[in-house]
Amino acid sequence: MKVSIVRLTIFAVVGMMVASVPVFAQSTEIMTDEHIANIKSNCQIARASLSRVHANDAPTYVNRNQTYFSIGDKMMATLNSRLSLNRFDASELVRIASEYNDLVVQFRKVYRDYDDSMTAAMNTDCLKQPVGFYDKVAKARESRKRVHDIVVRLTASLKEYRRAVQQFEIENKDELSTGVKP
Amino acid sequence: MNDVNESTEHHAPKRWYRNEMVLFVSGSILVAFSLVVLGLGLYVSSGADLLDLSRPGYTSVRGEVNQSDTFKSFPSSGPVTQAVLDEFLTLYDKQTLQVMNDDVFSVSTLEDQTLGIDEPAAGE
Repeated sequence: MKVSIVRLTIFAVVGMMVASVPVFAQSTEIMTDEHIANIKSNCQIARASLSRVHANDAPTYVNRNQTYFSIGDKMMATLNSRLSLNRFDASELVRIASEYNDLVVQFRKVYRDYDDSMTAAMNTDCLKQPVGFYDKVAKARESRKRVHDIVVRLTASLKEYRRAVQQFEIENKDELSTGVKP
Repeated sequence: MNDVNESTEHHAPKRWYRNEMVLFVSGSILVAFSLVVLGLGLYVSSGADLLDLSRPGYTSVRGEVNQSDTFKSFPSSGPVTQAVLDEFLTLYDKQTLQVMNDDVFSVSTLEDQTLGIDEPAAGE
């Protein structure tokens, strides 16, 4: 009897935890009638704005993706290879380039998530489902922030690589001036 | 007597699933459908769909994509001198310039107020 009560309690607690997850995923604040009415009245404008933002993001992503890849592939990798061929210690540059390449992969992944969440928001009828629309826009905003954060980190990584090359120049000044590696 | 029976069996109409033509057509449709599903799966999983601006809705922004690949590759072989590294840094600065602006994908574009879906202030 005792065992069954313990089991029931565990099931109840687990059940409550599982059931509460979607609640937290939804809008945490209760929306007022005025707020819902405002979403409905500005529905068409909001959807048009979302479509415009979504369309304008596409070429930005395409250009950035191409340039980020080319920098890693045609600049960083080639310099690291050249330094290694000349028997220089390029381990720091290789490390930064590796982190940079990981960030490029993350950039593609988070942009995919962002694109999916934007599509979900645009496909939601804000006249019939204003609360759902609001939640999906909030989710798209969070995804967009993640894309922005990765872009900031990529920029920092590019600057870090440049600084590392300059540091390499200072540390290997003698060998570089003579062109001979001891 | 046997010949008569064989002749009768020979002329019996084939069931639809034993008809080669039906099997051939339905098999072709099935193969084509599978290949389309596979192709679309690769199109999405590879990320090519995000780079494809020939999709509807992207006509107006298609021209904003850099069509020609003008990115110069740094030679991966050769000596390493001060001049070579200076040359690398000059090229690096030039080619990274277009992505050094990190003010893209800013969150303010999707703020409630920007979209007009914010909570109206009391008294409005």
